[in-house]
Amino acid sequence: MNLENRKYLLIGLVLLTAIVFISRLAYMQLIDDSWSRRATEIAEKRREIVPPRGTVYDRNWKKIVINQISYNLMIVEEKLKDFDTASFAKLIGWQKAEVIHRLKEIKENEGYYLNPATGKRESNFRKDRPYPFIKDLTLEEITQIAHQLGDFNGAIYEEPVGTRYYPFPNGANIFGYMSEVNRKEVEEDAFYRPGMNIGRSGIERAYEDVLRGIKGVRYVVTDATAHEIKPFANKKFDTLAKPSPHLILGLDIELQAYGEALMKGKKGCIVAIEPKSGEILTMVSSPNYDPNLLSGRKNIRKNYPTLLTDPQLPLFARPLQAEYPPGSIFKLLQSLICLQEGVIKPNSSFSCNKSVVGCHNHPTATSVEKAIQYSCNPYFYAAVRKVIQPNKKKKNEEDAVIGLDNWHRYMSSFGLGKKLDVDVDFNAQRGGLIPNSAYYNKYLGKGNWAFSTIRSIAIGQGEIKLTPIQMANIAAMIANRGWYITPHFVRSIGKKGPRKQYLTRNVVPIDQRHFEVVIEGMRRVVYEPGGTGKEARNEQFVVCGKTGTVQNGKNKKNHSVFIAFAPKDEPTIALAVFVENAGAGGVWAAPIAGLMLEKYLKRTVTNKEKEEYIKTTRL
Amino acid sequence: MRTKERLFANLDLPLLIAVLVLMVIGMTTVYSVTYNPNSPSLFSFSEKYGKQLLWIGASLFLGVLLLLIDADVYRKFADFIYLGCLVLLVLVLFMPPVHGARAWLGIGGLGIQPAEFAKISTALLLAKAIDEINLKLQNARAVFNLLLILLLPSVLVALQPDAGTLLVFSSFLFVLYREGISFDPLFLNLVNRFRGVRFKTTWLGTHFIPFLFFVLVISLLSLYLSGSKYSFAGSSISGIVLLCFIVTGIALLFLLVILLLGYPRYRRNNLIVLVSAYAFALFLVNSISFVFNNLAKPHQKNRIELVLGLKEDPNGADYNRNRAMAAVGSGGLYGKGYLQASVSSMRTNHVPESETDFIFCPFSEEWGFIGTLLLLSLYMFIVLRIFLIAERQRSVFFRIYAYCVGMIFFYHIAINLGMNIGLAPVIGIPLPFMSYGGSSILAFTSMVFILLKLDCQRKDVLR
Repeated sequence: MNLENRKYLLIGLVLLTAIVFISRLAYMQLIDDSWSRRATEIAEKRREIVPPRGTVYDRNWKKIVINQISYNLMIVEEKLKDFDTASFAKLIGWQKAEVIHRLKEIKENEGYYLNPATGKRESNFRKDRPYPFIKDLTLEEITQIAHQLGDFNGAIYEEPVGTRYYPFPNGANIFGYMSEVNRKEVEEDAFYRPGMNIGRSGIERAYEDVLRGIKGVRYVVTDATAHEIKPFANKKFDTLAKPSPHLILGLDIELQAYGEALMKGKKGCIVAIEPKSGEILTMVSSPNYDPNLLSGRKNIRKNYPTLLTDPQLPLFARPLQAEYPPGSIFKLLQSLICLQEGVIKPNSSFSCNKSVVGCHNHPTATSVEKAIQYSCNPYFYAAVRKVIQPNKKKKNEEDAVIGLDNWHRYMSSFGLGKKLDVDVDFNAQRGGLIPNSAYYNKYLGKGNWAFSTIRSIAIGQGEIKLTPIQMANIAAMIANRGWYITPHFVRSIGKKGPRKQYLTRNVVPIDQRHFEVVIEGMRRVVYEPGGTGKEARNEQFVVCGKTGTVQNGKNKKNHSVFIAFAPKDEPTIALAVFVENAGAGGVWAAPIAGLMLEKYLKRTVTNKEKEEYIKTTRL
Repeated sequence: MRTKERLFANLDLPLLIAVLVLMVIGMTTVYSVTYNPNSPSLFSFSEKYGKQLLWIGASLFLGVLLLLIDADVYRKFADFIYLGCLVLLVLVLFMPPVHGARAWLGIGGLGIQPAEFAKISTALLLAKAIDEINLKLQNARAVFNLLLILLLPSVLVALQPDAGTLLVFSSFLFVLYREGISFDPLFLNLVNRFRGVRFKTTWLGTHFIPFLFFVLVISLLSLYLSGSKYSFAGSSISGIVLLCFIVTGIALLFLLVILLLGYPRYRRNNLIVLVSAYAFALFLVNSISFVFNNLAKPHQKNRIELVLGLKEDPNGADYNRNRAMAAVGSGGLYGKGYLQASVSSMRTNHVPESETDFIFCPFSEEWGFIGTLLLLSLYMFIVLRIFLIAERQRSVFFRIYAYCVGMIFFYHIAINLGMNIGLAPVIGIPLPFMSYGGSSILAFTSMVFILLKLDCQRKDVLR
């Protein structure tokens, strides 16, 4: 028996083990990179930094849309030892049963997976991870409980992304609202992660790409409970987040608030534009709602269904989404076209022949100015007839095609019959309707119509439809004596100025001298006896305006409309007021317009009685 | 009295230096794992690295003291040391459990684990007992006595429970084999009961220990690999086929060793042993996988799979090992750099126990394959150096003790590293001189310095 040789067994065992271990280590560390990937997955996290959403200012640098930071109350189950449920419930103002139910709910919301090792359904819930117990607490709410949270191990709070806050409860249908991104949006745009918010309408949506800023990325080393330990690779791969520039609006939030107060209890809208820049000063849609009602998940869940089903349609942005026949304000445009076409002279006279079209009693209009002043229907019937039937063809019907399409070109140049490229995004923004020959050929049949068939377009009735913002834009165009800039809200993105398309003037093919005629007519509407808009009169500056009374089918009250600008020379505000089912234009729309102009130009209103009456009257 | 020069004249410097180097590596790794940026000084004694430094200092001091004790003392007092450790192992069972095991004797942070020292005492008594046996006249009673020496502390540590130390005690069986302790008397007792059977010796009884080990390893591997699939060079092969390939590979390796290195005189015998072992291994592998796959009931299968950690459950039972292997594997060739372990440092805490049982993770994460290769080489050097020291002893007592120490080291390394790289189940056992912890450092240092002292005096003893 040679025991000496048995040592080779031991030595062999050691060497064999060493060979196996070294091969295994070489495989794990040099060849198989799945362990490295697993390690990266375990310990290194890519953390995205979402910059705070851009702040929005009004034209006077008042903050109108800001971020409000909200807090989540988090729970770490593992640390909830000796958890006094009753006093915790008392602290957050809940019932004890509610707390227990919520804890169970958190667990269930995490879902289950099939554990391949045990073959059992197991919860994804991890006891060592923090989960939100209450979401979106305000700073006030959290400060009330924060000092006592220390008594409850495992209950902590953290700061999530901010929600929007509107210091003024106005302009909801301008700003729009935000809500959580859906799966499709997450898939299509790398910026979004589940749980983030996206602009759903209004400015929030139109300027989403600006307001959201540019995300930064940090790579961090994390511990087993997903807490950060240190930056990865000395921040070599990190990028900084770039916050959005401020948005400065042309909006005057005080005027907006004033307009909303005036429109309270009435349906309709006010749109005011600064003519020389095209900036929208005010866009009231009534009825409306406090934009804070739709800020944050909690609020949206609570208020959105109510707002959506409200028969008053507060979510409906009337200035952009509603179309109305313009009524008599259309006569301003007809005058311009007729004068430019040379079918009438400034001193042309037509008798008020009520046999073709109805009119109210007024002295005979012996000039275009007076025709506007009296809003004489037969006058414009006769004048527009000459445009639509230019006598270029023998057959009346063929002649009307040429005339109508010529007329349509003018209307089109005024920004009518098509959507204005306003920088707010609402799903159903409309463009109104200005019919051309193709339109009537389609609906009435080719050769089946002439001016006599479609004559109500002469006085802004019939097929004609305008959105209120187009009405205000007409006022701005006339105030500018022949050009307009597409109405828009954002006067400057940071310091860069507005978007490019809001810098070019749209010049209309009407000579400037014709505007002076029409503008004089508009002054007479407000200031001369027999003028229909004397309720808009103001002695501190000269108001030029035009009333409209929109027929609204039988048995329904007419819509009241008024467009105006002021002062007459070098105007700084042009507006349109539209009040549904309120009667004649001079009765409701004109006084509201007058107050708005005074408020904007003088900052205070002298006729408090009228103001009070309008504010408190419900239609 | 000996002079000072003589006292350390025969001190084995290679082993001493290797152990000191290992201590430095261990200390730096503990520092890296438990590093607290707020108190970066190595001497912050409230931090684990400060404490580890204290333990190392205390251990070295103890080591020097041990060098001053005459080697004969260990032989004389082996029984008392053994009994003392047994008493401690009993006492520890009445202590409150820490992490589910009653392994700690002491209060609060300052405690010792008697099991660590029981390894030394058992080695000493075993050495003494074997020394006193006349190998030519082995009887069942003597073998039984040896087994009892092993069994008593084994049962006590099993009660804690401490599977790691239990396994380490089994390593002494190899030492018994090396020393020629045969299970033949026990076997002959059984076999010769049959009428007409009169064996003088049985092969199985003589080589029972390596045979047992061989069967155990092959069985575990078969269970481990049966039912699993591996993709290899584009095609998918079952775990059992893979195992057969591995067994064949190892057999070929041994064939080469026998043909090239073995004595021609034993070549024929060795070849017979190799061929029969190979055939037996293949038989064992296939029959176990057949039983496991076809005969075992699902619940039995499931239990076996869970015990062996066969099922992937990265966040559940297999959490530790999955994280540990990710840490080791992510080291790459050069590692992530010192203090840069992102998975296994205590600051990230993805790998629990990364400063004790899983300390190999941060080391290999930070130093990569180059580091692990060097560390493994250093360990193998230490084990083989201890075997060499053992073989050069003239005293049987010294030699056995040395072999015991070598095997303790080997088992600790094999189980601990195996667990870290997914080749062994998770069993709590410290990595010598690397893992944080006072008992382990003190015990291993004592073990090595007693060995060094015995080795110093190897020429004194002429038996």
